[in-house]
Amino acid sequence: MAQARSRERSLLRKALSPSCACATPLELGGLADGSLAQPAATRLSDHVSGCARCQTELTLLKEFENAAPGPDEEGAVSWISARLERRFSEASAGPSPSRTDRGAALPRRSWFTALNVGGFALAAATLSAAVTIGLREGRAPELAQPSATASAVLRSAGITPLSPAGDLDAQPNELRWAPRTDAASYSVQVMEADFAELWNAETRDASIALPPALRARIVPGKPILWEVVAKDAAGRAVAWSGKQRFRLRK
Amino acid sequence: MSNHLAAGGSGASIWLQELFRRHYTKVVTWCLRVAGDREEAYDLAQGVFVKAQRHLGAFRGDSKVSTWLYSITRSECLNYLKSRCLLDDALDDDVAEALPDDPESRPEHVFELHSSVLAARALLDRELTDTEKRVFILHYGDDVPLLTITRLLGLENPSGAKAYLVSARRKLARVLSRWRASERLIA
Ligand SMILES: [Zn+2]
Repeated sequence: MAQARSRERSLLRKALSPSCACATPLELGGLADGSLAQPAATRLSDHVSGCARCQTELTLLKEFENAAPGPDEEGAVSWISARLERRFSEASAGPSPSRTDRGAALPRRSWFTALNVGGFALAAATLSAAVTIGLREGRAPELAQPSATASAVLRSAGITPLSPAGDLDAQPNELRWAPRTDAASYSVQVMEADFAELWNAETRDASIALPPALRARIVPGKPILWEVVAKDAAGRAVAWSGKQRFRLRK
Repeated sequence: MSNHLAAGGSGASIWLQELFRRHYTKVVTWCLRVAGDREEAYDLAQGVFVKAQRHLGAFRGDSKVSTWLYSITRSECLNYLKSRCLLDDALDDDVAEALPDDPESRPEHVFELHSSVLAARALLDRELTDTEKRVFILHYGDDVPLLTITRLLGLENPSGAKAYLVSARRKLARVLSRWRASERLIA
């Protein structure tokens, strides 16, 4: 009896699971916001319009996009958020050999910085053909299109870096970029070629002086990267410069 | 303005940090709706962010950050439900009570009878409303508990997903008995 029931359940599961023609969540997202390229877009939208499974997934995706805590959820959501924030800032504050020899840690490293993410993303997305995660079993990994890297897409959010760039004869004193009218402040980050952070700072101006300790690390022949993010009055990022590269000539 | 020599290791792109922060509440809210308990939701959300970090190399600029985060949240949540064996048989019994005492009206039976997956999908498509289909698919296809479905789909009727499941099964049972009647006529 129980055996028959579990056999029936597994049959049902098979009938209701996504088929190989079904769209992945990423494809559904692309379909919903119109960013999916042809001919995949037409093929998938034909499928989705007749597939209850894909429509269910699309409904969930939309619910997720609009998910905001209701009155009965607010307390728990802020409790969880605070705990996550604390958990990750504790993790980042812990001593590690690579940190102590680099100088003082930032006063308040976010959990996200602690997780050490962005460098990875850009490294993989811009410098190599990233292999997408096989979110669904049985899907062969796809190779990212070189033209559709994270860098290229984010760069279109536009902030124009002015200097320094390319090969330099003299050590730079400052970083400069074109001001944006919608920016209340700018966050700047300077990195080594492997995205290891050397320095970061905040400013209201469209330029910032490089401190002596950082300049000491800009040695001839060593490539240096920098980026700037414009933020509005509420502290939200509104534009990004992309990663800029310069090097002091030998 | 604060200038600090930053901590070592590889630097996080401030732009991506910002992008992720913007979607932070969605992930936490979603995990809470799946788990229904803040302690469990905390573990679940933490797992999502750790996985997001681990797979950041796979993030492609051609999909939205929120969609990409959703795909990770989705698979983490399904794994969580699977590992917890949260399939609510008690609720299933509730559903059964609301239905005529006919084992042949069970959806399992409907699908066994017409064991073609395509026929089963066509039957669902033709007979059920959009919400009934979604509840049916999530419950029987992904083993998502009815309470979780109620929260995820934001259903506001008094008994939530259960009501939709009951009406879906009633409809399928009716179709089935019509089929049986016509088979008898032909015989
Ligand atoms: Zn489909």
